[in-house]
Amino acid sequence: MTPTDVRIGPAPQVFSPGPPRRPRASWHSRANAIVVGWLALTVLAVVAQHRLPEPRWLVIHMFLLGAVTNAIVIWSEHFAVALLRVRAERWDLIRLGALNAAVVTVLYGATGGHPGLAAAAAGGVVAAVAWHVSALIRMARHALPSRFGHVIAWYIAAGVALVTGGTLGGLMVSQRVPWAWHERMHAAHAEVNLLGWVGLTVLGTLFTLWPTILRTRVSDWVGVSARWALRLAVPGLALTTGGLLLAVRWAAVAGLAAYAAAVAVALAPLAETVRRRRPHTPAAWVIAAGIGWFEIAILTDVVIVATHPQGEVAEALAPLLPLVILGFVAQILLGALTHLLPVVLGGGPARLKANVALLERGWTVRLAAANLAVPLLALPLPPLVSLAGWGLVLVALGSFVVLAVAALILTRRPSPALTGVVAGCLLTAVAVAVATSGGPEPRATATVGRQTVEVTLADMRIRPGTIQAAPGTRLVLHVVNRDAQHHDLRLATGEHTPLLGPGESATLQLGPLTRDVEGWCTVAGHRAAGMTMRIVLLGDHSAHAHDTGAAMTHNPADLDLTAPMSPGWKPYDATLRPAPGGTEHHVEIHAKETDLQVAPGVRQRMWTFDGTVPGPVLRGKVGDVFTITFVNDGTMGHGIDFHAGALAPDRPMRTIQPGERLTYRFRANRAGAWLYHCSTMPMLQHIANGMYGAVIIDPPGLPRVDREYVLVQGELYLGQPGSAAQVAKLRDGRPDAWMFNGTAAGYDHAPLTARAGERVRIWVVAAGPGSGTAFHIVGAQFDTAYKEGAYLLHRGGTGGAQVLDLAPAQGGYVETVFPEPGYYPFVDHDVLHGEAGAHGMFQVTE
Amino acid sequence: MTGWSVIRFLHVTSAALWVGGQLTVSLVVLPLARRMLDGEQRGRVLREIGRRFGLFTGAVFLPVQIGTGVLLAWHKGVTWESLAYPGYGRILAAKFLLFTAVMAAAGLHGWANGRGQAEFARAMAVTSLVGSVGIVLLAAALPPT
Ligand SMILES: [Cu+2]
Repeated sequence: MTPTDVRIGPAPQVFSPGPPRRPRASWHSRANAIVVGWLALTVLAVVAQHRLPEPRWLVIHMFLLGAVTNAIVIWSEHFAVALLRVRAERWDLIRLGALNAAVVTVLYGATGGHPGLAAAAAGGVVAAVAWHVSALIRMARHALPSRFGHVIAWYIAAGVALVTGGTLGGLMVSQRVPWAWHERMHAAHAEVNLLGWVGLTVLGTLFTLWPTILRTRVSDWVGVSARWALRLAVPGLALTTGGLLLAVRWAAVAGLAAYAAAVAVALAPLAETVRRRRPHTPAAWVIAAGIGWFEIAILTDVVIVATHPQGEVAEALAPLLPLVILGFVAQILLGALTHLLPVVLGGGPARLKANVALLERGWTVRLAAANLAVPLLALPLPPLVSLAGWGLVLVALGSFVVLAVAALILTRRPSPALTGVVAGCLLTAVAVAVATSGGPEPRATATVGRQTVEVTLADMRIRPGTIQAAPGTRLVLHVVNRDAQHHDLRLATGEHTPLLGPGESATLQLGPLTRDVEGWCTVAGHRAAGMTMRIVLLGDHSAHAHDTGAAMTHNPADLDLTAPMSPGWKPYDATLRPAPGGTEHHVEIHAKETDLQVAPGVRQRMWTFDGTVPGPVLRGKVGDVFTITFVNDGTMGHGIDFHAGALAPDRPMRTIQPGERLTYRFRANRAGAWLYHCSTMPMLQHIANGMYGAVIIDPPGLPRVDREYVLVQGELYLGQPGSAAQVAKLRDGRPDAWMFNGTAAGYDHAPLTARAGERVRIWVVAAGPGSGTAFHIVGAQFDTAYKEGAYLLHRGGTGGAQVLDLAPAQGGYVETVFPEPGYYPFVDHDVLHGEAGAHGMFQVTE
Repeated sequence: MTGWSVIRFLHVTSAALWVGGQLTVSLVVLPLARRMLDGEQRGRVLREIGRRFGLFTGAVFLPVQIGTGVLLAWHKGVTWESLAYPGYGRILAAKFLLFTAVMAAAGLHGWANGRGQAEFARAMAVTSLVGSVGIVLLAAALPPT
């Protein structure tokens, strides 16, 4: 293709964007170098996706505000000059400089955590484009009537759209907009910029550019179509923007429908052109693909806006972005540059031909890559697939950038010294960037990320208890009180919600994070009860950042007993089955170390008999003989001590080493609920880490009841078993929690069941190691109490019992009849123990 | 004063010779040669300077630099893994990458000179020079022992 080629055909009817009459080629190649430069930066930003702050925002704005906005300003001015046959204004270069300075400042201000600067710079962008629009208006006024004058109206409308969208964007980056408005403004900002600034410019340009690329004459309908389409598109966009801003959904949808109709009207003459002359150049195919995605995007857009409630539109539009930005905008830009760059670069017919060949190199592969990438990025696919999508984007965009830069350099050869200096500086810059990436110290200015977190106040807890965020993140906390009483949330940085009643909510907006922040409920006593939270800076290597999530170093405040149990957790079966028949019982018990869930969401390694805490429950009658084969499958020495038998402890209670076994035989001569436990020193550690269980020897004549349960109460010491930290807590007698059957508050999550009117017998053994229990069932009374081999109370009398008190290692049982259906908590009425995990539920049904 | 000081001394001296040599040739020798010598003679002198410098690079600079560099890294306890960590390892890795690029540019410079592509050769010479200064910058940024 040569300039003469472009001019083939009936002269007055073919529009030529070819070299204008003034020698502006040099200016144009420089101006387009800006566009190519922004494209290159976008490619870099895509590569650095996960390292750059707020990657999506930056990539999107580098591309749209950098490459695309520059291209629009440069080309619309160029086309206006060519179509209206007027002189270009002298200020265009200054305007372009101002625009780019403003764009750079917006990107820096928004990503560097300077909202005021970013907002001011957004104002600069808006002003530069407004200036550009006024220049277009002046040109249109001073021009003689032209067949293509209508195109200028599209450019002016597009500019007005950017002024609107840019103002909205500036307000948003200023962070002074009330949160309630944010989502609406976000949606309006995206729609008016993409459909208005980009969409109107592209459509207006295609009226003349499309036939030029196809090298055919312009359709006769263009004038009429362009005028009618614009009359539909502008009010449509205005309606959409207003509808989104004011949360009037039907208006937004109606506006979009009008815009869609306008696009159809605008594309009609282009379709007619295609019928006459099929696309046969790379530029034509790429642009055709872009138009195709535009139509898909608009239809999807209408559906999304129509089906999503206000406040969710912006978020719902997110999957549309790849469609619009990559499918439509990027392809139109690449197609236009493929066609126009060689023309504006000039350099003589030979150079032009060479540049055309250069820019078209491998275009089929690039076209395929770009169009395959669009669905990969738009659809909700696994991360690996979208990574492949990004790879394709890089292939498509990056290779074009390389080719365009090559064309720029080959046409305007820079001096070797300059090339060398630039190349050397670039290499050094890349190396320095690599060297300083991920520096050890958190950088306060690293991110503009906005992160919204739902915070719930309930059950004396603030959830989540720890929020992790990158330095510089602006957190938005949506605080909801889901409790029956009042709570609030106050942060150490001063932000606080009002006192929230049940069901009430409030939103806190925090400035960019620079350090860890504590938060708590200010209602008297609630902070001490555990209503605290912490915002932790990611990448902060200070000590407390490490203990989040690691069960090993839990402290009591970290235990959240009302949190859900981890999936897969099965409660220890508290049901006590009748003694098996016969008088001889053979049992094999293995000592082993097992990871167990000891409290909601908290797993830790326990030393166990047979992998459970407590170990297996044995049951028999007075006089039965138990033969225990005890096997040590652990990593240290263990022994076993059955209180249910009387014998010389010398041999059976000896410690055996890993891999060894011993036989322990005892006759149960006396009734009772007996403890068994590990007998190896230090016993305090072995019992505290879970090595205990119960032997139930029925008193003679024990009546049958409807249900029997056994509860072994123990203490929980979090931390690595045997570690200095855990042992210190053991020595001080400071358990992190109390447990029934090995899990703190486990039966709150898996209640024991009974029916109203049934007689229920509950066997209780206090395993300690340090504390006993005052076993009580809220709402129920015991008519039978059996403690340590004797009845304190027999059923049938008028007296009752409220508590079965057991010292460490004592056992017994109580009986009750639940009067009516409901939830009856059972607790250690030593309330300290009860509130710290010695707590469960009876679910009593009809 | 230990053996390691000697090795570090060799490493730094050799780098100083190489970077300093390039700078001296570009900033002092070449301009003077262009001004004071005429066609035939100038060409010969410049070619000879380039040949000598290339010889020095291949025979002395590269072996010394790589040898002492590897020893120093080993002494510092640098492992392959640690090259990816932020801080010392990563700066070292970046320095090595830049060094490789600079060597590639220097190689291209010689190659282009041999084929009479003066402009490309010059561009590569300047690239290599600027990149070398970049290496010194990174070396200065390496945290001291
Ligand atoms: Cu033990």
